[in-house]
Amino acid sequence: MKTFRWSRELTLIVLLVCLMGAASVLEPKFVTVRAQTLLATHLWELALVAIPMLLIVITAGIDLSVGSMVALSAVSFGLMFERNVPPVVAVALTVVIGTLLGGLNGWFVTKMKVHPLLVTLATLAAYRGMAEGISTARAISGYPDWLLSALQGPTPVVIFVLAALGTHLVMTRTYFGRWVLAIGTEENVSRFSRIPVDRVKLWLYGFSGLICGIAAILLVARNNTAKADMASGLELDAITAVVLGGASIHGGKGRVTGLVLGLILIHETREFVSWHWKQNELNLVVIGSLLILTVLLENIAEIRKNRKPQPVNPAPAKS
Amino acid sequence: MKNLFALCALAIVLVGCSGGDAAKSESPTDKPGGSAASESKQITVAMLPKKKGVPYFTSCSEGAMEAAKELGNVELIYDGPTSGDAADAVKLIDQWTAQGVDVIAVSPNDPAVLGPAMKRACDAGIKVLTWDADADAANREFLVNQATPEEIGNSLVDAMAKDLGGDSATGEVAIVTASLTAANQNEWIKFMKVRLEKYPGLKLIATKPSNEDQKLAFSVTQDLMKVYPNLKGVFAISSVAFPGAAEAVKQAGKAGKVLVTGLSTPNDMKTYVKEDVVKSVILWNTKDLGYLTVFAARELVDGKLKAGSTTVAAGRLGEKKVVGDNVMLGGTITFNKENIDQFDF
Repeated sequence: MKTFRWSRELTLIVLLVCLMGAASVLEPKFVTVRAQTLLATHLWELALVAIPMLLIVITAGIDLSVGSMVALSAVSFGLMFERNVPPVVAVALTVVIGTLLGGLNGWFVTKMKVHPLLVTLATLAAYRGMAEGISTARAISGYPDWLLSALQGPTPVVIFVLAALGTHLVMTRTYFGRWVLAIGTEENVSRFSRIPVDRVKLWLYGFSGLICGIAAILLVARNNTAKADMASGLELDAITAVVLGGASIHGGKGRVTGLVLGLILIHETREFVSWHWKQNELNLVVIGSLLILTVLLENIAEIRKNRKPQPVNPAPAKS
Repeated sequence: MKNLFALCALAIVLVGCSGGDAAKSESPTDKPGGSAASESKQITVAMLPKKKGVPYFTSCSEGAMEAAKELGNVELIYDGPTSGDAADAVKLIDQWTAQGVDVIAVSPNDPAVLGPAMKRACDAGIKVLTWDADADAANREFLVNQATPEEIGNSLVDAMAKDLGGDSATGEVAIVTASLTAANQNEWIKFMKVRLEKYPGLKLIATKPSNEDQKLAFSVTQDLMKVYPNLKGVFAISSVAFPGAAEAVKQAGKAGKVLVTGLSTPNDMKTYVKEDVVKSVILWNTKDLGYLTVFAARELVDGKLKAGSTTVAAGRLGEKKVVGDNVMLGGTITFNKENIDQFDF
């Protein structure tokens, strides 16, 4: 039998089982299908956006502009709709706009060689500002019911499952996945090994934009409103989920399975805390503590493992 | 691959524990029918402010807690987004819907965004009220209305006239509003203009937007004072415009020469009142607003407040009028140098 290896996924599962166990004792209603379905409706934009964030973090990059890309795409969608662009066309164009916004980030990162933190910090502000500018900060509502219902309920779940499964397969089964990991581990070595580093990165930032475009449409449908201040702070939630899921912010490490578990854990913790203690502001504290707890648990497991008797290396002889 | 298995295992665990409890929890969610027996029944009222942690809403919540305590059979949940983000408010409404509370009382910071969640709550059999601000009437049963636009418009103009010398007050006055499209403010302005006719000496010379931006309110007021040197009074009619306008007058050294009045909480304007920049601060009684909301919620569950009701019993407030689907609090209070220290919110 293979030797047992502790992984981030196991830590997250242990925490989740504890949480749900405690929840079923303290708040039986919380662990019902009805409650969980209702609560889950707010998760999908974050869940979607976290997928490309994971890939970008694995390449040792970061995309801080996701919230602003969502807002700008959402507002673009609203404005197109207002100008009587057929909804289906507007949906397609919004996804294109999102992709272009992400592509622009990628272009700055790869061609202009600006650090992704700076690029996306700049576009975080710029895209949000553009969203406020073109919408004059007003809310655009009044979408037809058929569109709203088509984009709610199971639709976001299906999109997320497909995106997560696809990304998982790409990361575990294809060259592209190995390239992503290699770039994050050692970028220079990757370049020497003829990995198309810049092209991979451009794709990833573009992918992030594309997902933001999709998330924007889902968000607009759920709220029946497009507004420039939507999805603010989304980048922090996404990065938290990615890191909680076991990805290293230094790059080279991270799995979709961990991310999915991280997302579920964050979501359930947040909802449970606000359900049980009825103090919305507690959430931030708890999410922070959760991040620390996860890392701690793992470090303890790591230390335990290292304490097992190991072949003793002879001390280097003194000269 | 191992991780994928782990994920599946987890999914099974999650579904397993949720499936087991689903059956149990369906039964106790049934709602009382409004019979006399239900009066003593413990109910849960969830109250959502536009933004949690701001003095205005905190003082409303104090009144609400007082009412819950007095009734004794109401469990009050007071929670809201600390960021003022409408999406967070939606999450809370959905959560309360999932918990199966009896009444959700909403002060919507964005009616369009909150609408669908309020509808989901209605569909789940929860009584939905609005208070402080209204939403689409289809998504709630009653609005607990703090004051009519007419009362507010009249109070503002009367206070300004009184501070400028009573019925014979003369001088140029200007309005600094929120934005030119703000529904509440436009209603007030409409009634202010009507009321101003009572004081022929007061001349309204300009209405300027400040777009809920204190800095803009500051510079707009500066401009007004430059362009109209005879300006005697400024109505700053949003809680953000008010301190901005007052600060502009203060920095121009025109305290006492140009009066600012408007709607705000006493704590926010206390320093300006003491420096004579502001003589009167107008507001409805926020504690009473929270108090009335909880009583209205109780009466709604008991079936005493229903379509066609003309009054509602509200504890120490006595009988309050119901007009259409509005429960009226009515009345404004004016804070001035003499009484402002008695209020702490």
